[in-house]
Amino acid sequence: MASDEKKTKKSTGAEGSSVPKLPNGDSIRLGKEADGLRKAALGVGIVALAGAVLLGGGPYGKQFQHSYLTAYMWGLSIAVGAVWWVAVQHLFGARWSIVVRRVGELLAQLVVVMAVLALPLLIPIFMGNDVLYPWAEHHYFEHHAYIASKAPWFSPAFFAVRMAFYFGFWVLLAKYYLGQSRRQDTTSGDVALTKKLQSVSAPGMILFAVSVTFCAIDFLMTLDPVWFSTIFGVYYFATCVLTFNSTLALTLMWLQSRGHLKASVTAEHYHDIGKMMFAFTCFWTYIGFSQFMLIWYANIPEETHWFNDRFFGSWLNATYFLSVAHFFIPFFGMMSRWMKRNTGRLRFWALYILAICWFDMYWLVAPNLHKDGVALTAADFLAWIGIAGILVSSALTRARDVNLVATGDPRLSKSLAFENI
Amino acid sequence: MSDPTTSPQEAAPLHGILAEYDNPTALVLASRKVRDAGFSRWDTYTPFPIHGIDKAMGIKMTILPWIVMCAALIGLGTAVWLQWWTNAVNYPWIISGKPFWSWPANVPIWFELTVLFSAFASLAGMLVLNNLPQPSHPLDLKERFARASDDRFFLLIQASDPKFDEADIRQLLAETTPVFIEDVAEDRVTSDKIPRALIYVGVLAAFASLVPFAFFAKARNATTETGRFQLVWDMDFSPAYKPQETNPLFEDKRATRQTPAGTVAQGELRADDHLYLGKTKAGTFVSAMPKGLTVDADMMALGKAQFGIYCAPCHGLLGDGNGMVHKRAETLGGGWVPPSNLHQEYIRQMPAGQLFDTITNGVRNMPSYAAQIEPEERWAIILYVRALQKSQGASVADLSEADRAQLK
Repeated sequence: MASDEKKTKKSTGAEGSSVPKLPNGDSIRLGKEADGLRKAALGVGIVALAGAVLLGGGPYGKQFQHSYLTAYMWGLSIAVGAVWWVAVQHLFGARWSIVVRRVGELLAQLVVVMAVLALPLLIPIFMGNDVLYPWAEHHYFEHHAYIASKAPWFSPAFFAVRMAFYFGFWVLLAKYYLGQSRRQDTTSGDVALTKKLQSVSAPGMILFAVSVTFCAIDFLMTLDPVWFSTIFGVYYFATCVLTFNSTLALTLMWLQSRGHLKASVTAEHYHDIGKMMFAFTCFWTYIGFSQFMLIWYANIPEETHWFNDRFFGSWLNATYFLSVAHFFIPFFGMMSRWMKRNTGRLRFWALYILAICWFDMYWLVAPNLHKDGVALTAADFLAWIGIAGILVSSALTRARDVNLVATGDPRLSKSLAFENI
Repeated sequence: MSDPTTSPQEAAPLHGILAEYDNPTALVLASRKVRDAGFSRWDTYTPFPIHGIDKAMGIKMTILPWIVMCAALIGLGTAVWLQWWTNAVNYPWIISGKPFWSWPANVPIWFELTVLFSAFASLAGMLVLNNLPQPSHPLDLKERFARASDDRFFLLIQASDPKFDEADIRQLLAETTPVFIEDVAEDRVTSDKIPRALIYVGVLAAFASLVPFAFFAKARNATTETGRFQLVWDMDFSPAYKPQETNPLFEDKRATRQTPAGTVAQGELRADDHLYLGKTKAGTFVSAMPKGLTVDADMMALGKAQFGIYCAPCHGLLGDGNGMVHKRAETLGGGWVPPSNLHQEYIRQMPAGQLFDTITNGVRNMPSYAAQIEPEERWAIILYVRALQKSQGASVADLSEADRAQLK
């Protein structure tokens, strides 16, 4: 009884009115200070999305749906990348990342808002509207007998089950990680929790691989129901890791500029985040080229036509641009540790990667609409701003009353003192 | 020569002064002092990597990354050059209908050689920059030093350091918190000769490496009754089926597969009967040029060139059936069916489609030219033949006013 009382007192002390701080004096609570930005981001997001709907031909307009899908997959990659990142830190028992892991756990909560934002894409599908996906039209496979064997995959019931699995699994995992990590804050660093999170992460990682693979296939690959590439899920996963790590770096820089985590997050942590950005730039290229080379070499029409759409006219220039801007520039630019250990320089690369990953999504989606050539429209950019605004606002809302550092992690001091060799 | 009462090791000069610590913090603090005192030839020895010791010792960032980068570029260049030279220059060979130098297929090797050269350079560069391997070191003779791989931390300042002063250093090290300080003498015990065993192994390995070449030499110069030794059987005798072979896998036993019914290969759909057959849908010969072709000077020039290559040898440059082949056949004698004079009235009246059909399928002893002449070129030839026919049967009335005036 007495110990119970003590516990409640302690937990209210950590979570209550007094502003929580780390032993090194760092502020780790956002509180109300970002309310202005939160509202502004939400406003900008909604106005931009409304603009995209208007300029893109209404909610069922071809242009709007394609612009929205581009922006949506970009936003989803950040949220899904966060879920993966948190899982992988637990799985490997990573120590360097503990001081920044809570920010990752909070960004992973974005899968909830991404699940809601999927509705504008899902509703037309269930209505049988083929504005985006040709197979959504109920008689599609009757007219395309040569791929009729794929029809069961596209049945609305199975599609709904899959969507429920993707988002259900991500939301569950994200909430679980944040919940358990916060519980550890109040149970004075229960080591058993750390071990439990590690053992959950192993099967979680396997399910994650399945979910992100088939989600990428369902949302992006089926824009062209004839085409298939088994590596496609990995290609999208590379984007997830890139956009998430860039977002993580930018979020930490913003928090530090507002006076939080000032002494806790050092060049050492940024260096490691930068390494992830650099490594996955190479990984993206490796996967993207592998996909291209096998299809190019085999030269089978049902595979090559997808690249054919991207290899002629101005789309060829877009393809060249993508390989230079997504690989050569960041590869040589980010190679040196000098680039990754300086906040200003790393900020540039984080913004650069977020932008180029959006263009990658555009390169995946838009050729299905604009067969004749690249056509960047205002709706593309407005949808992008809209999704980004809603994500910023949602993340700030979720982070408002949560400690920005997992204070209860028993290895926190190792992370604070972390140094690269 | 040496004094028999003292062993060579006892008379060895000083190599340096060694301090021993029982915890890493003490070593880091001592390192900072030694660094600030300005020594350059000194080192620390620990059982595990200690974060921050580089800074405490004042060690500069290594140049290894630059060495690796150079090696990576050399690896990349080697791969690009080797594949380009072998595929496109030295032994050009068309594979799957792709260009001689199909660079996308080479990218995996670019990647592999870049990584391979980088890995070798990393290892070799690390060894060289660390002065490794060192077969012996004076510290190996110190019994206490064995704990450097267990639970003790050591700092050694070498006597070769320009600032070396024995008394000063003893005082400096004593101010840190060492467990023990001792002198380290140069190694006069360990032989500087390479161990015998190592030499034997080296010689044996060198000879062993010649064995494969000996086999090559024998195979090239000796005769054998068992036939050639096939190192990689599949490379010399491809298991792939050749045309006209039987394949038991299929019901009809044909290895060469027919295209499935109702399909056509990409780019080979020839639905336009006018263009490809010279006929209407009903099967009668057309007399007009196909709609897709523009009749212009370029087409006429193409027709003239093709006529000169394929038709003139028999039909003659004028189309009068008096070509070189015909002349030669006449001199040889025998049953030679002469090529047609294209200016005969029935050929003049022939619809263009029938001319097309003649070039495509041949007539009498004229063979089919479908394999040599593209359909568009056949139409160009017909255009030129029409021009020839006009030129040989024209009347004054066909000329323009100006030309007629000039003729007078």
